[in-house]
Amino acid sequence: MPEYDAVVIGAGNGGLTGALTLARAGRKVLLLERHNVPGGCATSFVRGRFEFEVALHQLSGMGSAERPGPLRAVLNDLGVMDKLEFVEMENLYRVVWPDTFDITLRAERNAIVETLQDRFPKEKENIPRFFDLVYGFSMEMVQGLFFKDPEISKEKYPLFFKYALTPTRKVLDEYFSDPLLKAVLSIYWSYAGVPPTWLSFGDFAIMLFAYIEFKPYHLKGGSQALSNALLDEFINNGGEVRFNCGAKKIATKGGRVTGVVTEQGDTVQTRYVLSNASMLQTYLDLMDPDQVPRETLEGFRSTSIGPSAFSIYMGFDCEPEELGIQETTNFITTTTDMDKAFARWKTMEQQGVALFTCYDVSDPDFSPPGTCQAAFVSLQYGDPWSLVPPHQYYDAKYRYAEGMMELAEKAFPGVRGHIEEMEIATPMTHLRYLGHLGGAIYGHDQYTKDTPYFMANRSPVQGLYFAGAWAMQGGFQPTLTSGRSAAKGILKSMAKK
Amino acid sequence: MSLKDVIHDIEGYQDIKSEIAVLKKYGFDYSAQRGRLDSILDMLHPKKLRLCVSEIIDETKSAKTLRLVPVQGYLPPFQAGQYISLVVEIGGVVTSRDYSMSSSPSQIGYYDVTVRRVGDGFVSEYLLDEAKPGDEFASSSPAGNFYYNPLIHGRDLVFIAGGSGITPFMSMIREVAGRGLDRRIHLFYGSQSPDDIIFGQEIEDLSRRHSNITWTSVISDPPQGYQGRAGFISADLMKEVLGDLSDRMFFLCGPEAMYTFCRKELAGLGVPGRRMRNEMYGPPKNITACQGWPEYIDADATVSVSMKGGKTITVRSTEPLMNSLERNGIVIPSLCRSGECSLCRTKLLKGKVFQPEGVKLRKSDRQFGYIHPCMAYPISDIEILLQ
Ligand SMILES: Cc1cc2nc3c(=O)[nH]c(=O)nc-3n(C[C@H](O)[C@H](O)[C@H](O)COP(=O)(O)OP(=O)(O)OC[C@H]3O[C@@H](n4cnc5c(N)ncnc54)[C@H](O)[C@@H]3O)c2cc1C
Ligand SMILES: Cc1cc2nc3c(=O)[nH]c(=O)nc-3n(C[C@H](O)[C@H](O)[C@H](O)COP(=O)(O)OP(=O)(O)OC[C@H]3O[C@@H](n4cnc5c(N)ncnc54)[C@H](O)[C@@H]3O)c2cc1C
Ligand code: FES
Repeated sequence: MPEYDAVVIGAGNGGLTGALTLARAGRKVLLLERHNVPGGCATSFVRGRFEFEVALHQLSGMGSAERPGPLRAVLNDLGVMDKLEFVEMENLYRVVWPDTFDITLRAERNAIVETLQDRFPKEKENIPRFFDLVYGFSMEMVQGLFFKDPEISKEKYPLFFKYALTPTRKVLDEYFSDPLLKAVLSIYWSYAGVPPTWLSFGDFAIMLFAYIEFKPYHLKGGSQALSNALLDEFINNGGEVRFNCGAKKIATKGGRVTGVVTEQGDTVQTRYVLSNASMLQTYLDLMDPDQVPRETLEGFRSTSIGPSAFSIYMGFDCEPEELGIQETTNFITTTTDMDKAFARWKTMEQQGVALFTCYDVSDPDFSPPGTCQAAFVSLQYGDPWSLVPPHQYYDAKYRYAEGMMELAEKAFPGVRGHIEEMEIATPMTHLRYLGHLGGAIYGHDQYTKDTPYFMANRSPVQGLYFAGAWAMQGGFQPTLTSGRSAAKGILKSMAKK
Repeated sequence: MSLKDVIHDIEGYQDIKSEIAVLKKYGFDYSAQRGRLDSILDMLHPKKLRLCVSEIIDETKSAKTLRLVPVQGYLPPFQAGQYISLVVEIGGVVTSRDYSMSSSPSQIGYYDVTVRRVGDGFVSEYLLDEAKPGDEFASSSPAGNFYYNPLIHGRDLVFIAGGSGITPFMSMIREVAGRGLDRRIHLFYGSQSPDDIIFGQEIEDLSRRHSNITWTSVISDPPQGYQGRAGFISADLMKEVLGDLSDRMFFLCGPEAMYTFCRKELAGLGVPGRRMRNEMYGPPKNITACQGWPEYIDADATVSVSMKGGKTITVRSTEPLMNSLERNGIVIPSLCRSGECSLCRTKLLKGKVFQPEGVKLRKSDRQFGYIHPCMAYPISDIEILLQ
């Protein structure tokens, strides 16, 4: 029976960085992936002349070579930087409420403050105060938490202790009265998947801070280039990968991992498994029920499966300007009521907020000359889709997409007339390609109660580790980082033996 | 000291702790979700299907319809125009070929596939001459991107079919007629001789009963005294039959030569590229005639293919690598067999392959040395990594 130091299940961001970290440490690693390409969400697919980016809209935490952010440091460490070319976005985002309001914010603190003061003169004083808070809080969080200050205390880090778990909405209400300003400032809530009412200020502030300070990024070749680079480096370090080959069972004995059975029925021996499959799936379907402590499953009772996405990928037969597209990142909104917009994610109703990203604006080589592409996305839960009878699935998909396109046309009149290729992905599509319940792209819901402060992420099964959105938090930066951290945990445990 | 020791000092911490405690008691019980993921997947996109031939219908002297029913469970839904990849084992060789469903997606009890003889075809010959009711086959789920999209294709459709290329259109026509959909269809259907017209009677009947469905049959090799239209589906013919071409959406399915010809004709009539869509056609009949094929390699050249950590085989340069592998008992995953879907994606470690235009590699796959063996022709000794 073949033997490996570790088996990694799933080649999403977390699985890839985890596998690579282990391989670079000289361990013998097998990486199993159900699908035929690495990346999970971080992938692309080709239709006609276009290679559509599936997931990455704005990469956070990169920073420039001179002012590297935490993610750049991780990728540097993993030895993949020289295979990749990153593209910095100048603007944070545009928020457009068709026929009502339109604003673009640069990814620069002072510029944002000025632009907002200009548009919201009544809130002139409040705006810089709010940014003082966001920055003050974030600096404390970086110092106290990320750099693990051994003298961390309420007195030393007052903002952190006051605001980390406060709902974002409460802070916004404290500082501002204009609902439109609040909506514009907090629009990244849709990246977190939780509306300001339930999103912790800690999560929100650090996200806004990081996107402004380290700038939003994209990369040449899209997120698939990153996945391919990580896998290539893994192979170069002696790693073995099998595609179209999911893990079927994790074998355990006396509460310790002993091996993995693949979908093809092969068994491999190992004492360590790093799972990039969802935690739920790992415990429910990859392990025998009697090998999973009851408390472990019960621990999930306080969590809920997070949102998936509904995306329309469009390839146009013209340049962005011809369609009136001037920004890479466009949030199209029709409401300032974020709770209502969020509630719609759980239904088949028309969306209130959606994100229209045209990569070609910041990277003209993204699509072939004379063309451009856009990804138009709204988060949505898997539940309403799992209730659609299979034979009505395609009709339902087009009906929903039609509503989205009507919204897109309001912001970009005439876009529909230039579409050469279109592909539509529903939560069921993500469920199929990721193997996650609900098609969840950020793991479980990330309400304040689900932040890492409250999570016991140590598995009760010896040798079983987790990486990816379900293990910590969704998004590129967290998942890429989580794989490396989990692998370091494994290496530490191996060293003890 | 670490955060753990002072975490309760964060404002709101205790409240959330209590909330969690309550939820742990009354929250959602996930243990009932065992197996749920697979059951959802199986309804829409099962990995594999097992199909049984329930009936074989003679269509023309060279074409038959195989009616396929599920061995157990349900058939997943498809969009008219999609295909399944049917797996066959012939003389010890396991291979697969794509067949578009010709039945309507509304017909949920079976899939019809209609197979036409291609001369010395390996699989078509087997399906036409050997398959019988009761035979079982494995197949993929329905796949493919040749279908109608109501968001962008409009209501005025023109179908251009050549030979067995009628099959996806038959599914679309049957769906539009059967569900009374608000779409206008004109079908141009090119066949070699009048005996080759598959579904001729049914199309004629449907076009009599449905004013939104019309068709023109065109015969390329008309017999003496043939009264109908003869020749090719040309610009003149389309202009004459259709009149105004604006806002029409053209779908093409047939042999490679037909695409080249008809697309040019349509472009000449001012039809923009986004208003034409064609189905894939599999590997070209004669790869040495493809643009970019290295002239110094003749039709019967052979090279060696070694699999890292495995065996080495000798193959013909002019056969798709995938077929050569299958011939040697090495089956790699496949679906479109036309270079488009990337399911067969394989890493090339050494040597060179020729991939004709139309092979849809991701940019970064190209950068990191991946190839699509279903449409890759080894033109030097090569080494590949099977993953
Ligand atoms: C439309 C969309 C837009 C997004 N936009 C952004 C954005 O702009 N910025 C951002 O930061 N994030 C964004 N995200 C989120 C981000 O892409 C994800 O949170 C992140 O990529 C998840 O990584 P992961 O490590 O959890 O693995 P996943 O991507 O979830 O991959 C898990 C992998 O495990 C495999 N697997 C599962 N079960 C098994 C098994 N049993 N055996 C073998 N393999 C298995 C799956 O096939 C998959 O490859 C977006 C996501 C989507 C879909
Ligand atoms: C998306 C899609 C949908 C399709 N739908 C249908 C359908 O509905 N009905 C239908 O009848 N067909 C359909 N086809 C075509 C079908 O998949 C097969 O290609 C067809 O049946 C021929 O397969 P074969 O095994 O019989 O021929 P093959 O053995 O694959 O041969 C095909 C041709 O290639 C030549 N050839 C074979 N081997 C070589 C070689 N080594 N070197 C050079 N030339 C060679 C043969 O002479 C023959 O002319 C579809 C194809 C695609 C891609
Ligand atoms: S089988 Fe689809 S690309 Fe090869």
